[in-house]
Amino acid sequence: MTAVQTARLQRLGTRAAPLAGLGAVIVLAAVTAPGVFGTDNLRLILFQAGLIGITAIGQTLVLLVGGIDLSIGAVIGLTTVIVASHTDGDGSALPAAIVLALLAGLAVGGVNAGLVVLRRVPPFVATFATFVLVQGTITAATRGAPSGDIPKALAPLGADRIAGIPVPLWVFAALALVVGAVLARGAAGRRVYATGANPRAAALSGIRVPWVVAAAYLISAALAVLAGLVDAAYVGHVDAQLSRSLNLDSVAAAVIGGVALTGGEGTVTQTAIGSVLLAVLLVWMLELGAGAGGQLLVEGAVILLAVWLQRRGQATSGGG
Amino acid sequence: MRRIYVAAALLLALAGCSSEKEGTSTPGSGSGNTSTADKGGCTPSPEAQQAYEAPWTQGAEAFGIDKLDVTQLSICSVDTAKYKKEPTDGSYRIALAAQGPTNSWAAENEAAFQAQAKAKNAKVLYASANGDATKQVDNIQQLASQKPDAMVVVPMGPGIVGQIKAATAQGIPVVACAGQLPDNSGVVSTVTRSYDLQGKLWAEWVAKQIGGKGRIAMISGIAGVPTAEFPKAAAEKVFADKYPDIKIVSKQYDDWSPTKAKTVAASLVSKNLDAIWSDSSFTALGVYEAYTQAGKPVPPVTGDASNAFLKAVQGKDVKFALSPFPPELSSQCFDTALDIVQGKPVPNFVNVQAPAFTNADAGEYIKPECSDNLWVPATLPEAEQKALKLC
Repeated sequence: MTAVQTARLQRLGTRAAPLAGLGAVIVLAAVTAPGVFGTDNLRLILFQAGLIGITAIGQTLVLLVGGIDLSIGAVIGLTTVIVASHTDGDGSALPAAIVLALLAGLAVGGVNAGLVVLRRVPPFVATFATFVLVQGTITAATRGAPSGDIPKALAPLGADRIAGIPVPLWVFAALALVVGAVLARGAAGRRVYATGANPRAAALSGIRVPWVVAAAYLISAALAVLAGLVDAAYVGHVDAQLSRSLNLDSVAAAVIGGVALTGGEGTVTQTAIGSVLLAVLLVWMLELGAGAGGQLLVEGAVILLAVWLQRRGQATSGGG
Repeated sequence: MRRIYVAAALLLALAGCSSEKEGTSTPGSGSGNTSTADKGGCTPSPEAQQAYEAPWTQGAEAFGIDKLDVTQLSICSVDTAKYKKEPTDGSYRIALAAQGPTNSWAAENEAAFQAQAKAKNAKVLYASANGDATKQVDNIQQLASQKPDAMVVVPMGPGIVGQIKAATAQGIPVVACAGQLPDNSGVVSTVTRSYDLQGKLWAEWVAKQIGGKGRIAMISGIAGVPTAEFPKAAAEKVFADKYPDIKIVSKQYDDWSPTKAKTVAASLVSKNLDAIWSDSSFTALGVYEAYTQAGKPVPPVTGDASNAFLKAVQGKDVKFALSPFPPELSSQCFDTALDIVQGKPVPNFVNVQAPAFTNADAGEYIKPECSDNLWVPATLPEAEQKALKLC
């Protein structure tokens, strides 16, 4: 077998493994917890897949350019707080609140991009710092008790269904199609992959690498704002405890799907598979009554397995 | 290659992080027994015993429970003569090792303490733990080094016992506030609402709603946190001992987050539950939202008493029973500390009185004009409520 063939086979393995994993999880869930795919639970799975997926698309873009965004959870929290405090339940103030939340989110994304691009701070340090900073700002500004209400007008975004399928999943599907198409066919997509695979070579070939990287962080932040709106719409109340877990979920969805943490490799389809897999896992664990410990254990194990598989693929092909 | 390991490690670290959200109610800790500095100086007190039992009686009456099995504690009156002091410059210095304003419960908890201290002309030495037991260990040490006349601790976990013992050894009397510590902690008095009371009240009400027979789920706050685990254990014991025909279909945790509560409840909708036992109104709110969205009738549900829940279910056909864990109990913690430094005898355990109520009486407690974050029945002075934008 030639090296090219081996590489192709490995790539096929990386692509097929998540799908096989998803199949295995679905079968296991159906066997061990027969109720897991009833109508109500199925809706919950689809909703969760949508919510996780929206953040995971942004995360995927950042991972593709060789970064990581750990500030997503903070931006989600920030969005809910801004919407609640600005509107206090008044639907007419909602558009302004959404604009404000978007600006705040983009500001966080901008800081991330600035730190990573201009100061060359390692992405996980930069984005974790902004995460802590934003969380601190929220706690200080609200004294832990965000005031205000979520307007009823927002509810359809999180709580409604179209053709039986929760709205967040439609939103995710639309985003995945657009981003997926751009990545696969567009010039922008090629720039993203080139930047992630080898920033120096990309720069030499005329790609404005800093702009590509910055755009990834800004899009990730904007999608986190969208996820925040979905979440606020779903629960309908301000949640002071919100959202640290969505940081983990967004990275996990991408990694489980097989998006490389080293950048330059992965597709939105893979991320979508990862998102669905995570959502099934979550509801399966709930159905089993596994508790928080069990959920995190299983999720951690699945992530480790995914990273281990990736690493093996790269080690044998001499990359990494 | 190294980057992969770092990222994986980071993911695991984050996983740890996300399971450690602070509770609404303050995590306390302990065995459910009372703890006193020295049992020798504690004399039986019928008066204190009666005060301990009063909330049980009120709760049972409010929930229409005939036989509520009162958890027996040896309640006594602690002789505090050895802590008696004269105020320096006319005012006592009382330390508060607080949870830190990580949520509305804690914010009100601290505001009530400060307000009471101001009213009694005492100086407060304050330290915030940000909901973290490790941080609180440092806080207690640092507060003790300022030699306060007494210290009130809102315990974040049993890990702080060592520092409390050290403070006590320096002659500083310590009051455990809104949480229980193990017997050997050396605190002079514990001021809280009994966890057993909460757990049993909710359990008995649930049993009564479904005639002692049926399918229920139990949803608690944070796994391993005493404020969640003790009421849960008490309730489980009630179900196991008295109601063999009640089947607990599912036991879950929701971190006292309305979002997680709704997710958990959504996974229960299809289980044909007759009632849901829960330890907070965040959970009750999530249950209401999930069932309503699924277009199904909301099963009878329990919790503590938040304005958010009352506002959500106002005018709706929902059966519920709420037993508050009032943040304002910190003013009683302050009073107890003040009694100690004035040499007045104090009970070793103060079971905080707060009216339990059901949907039938909810109209008396709801504050439609106030914030969702308000805990009812609110006894915080109006000025403080305004300052916290609660009302």
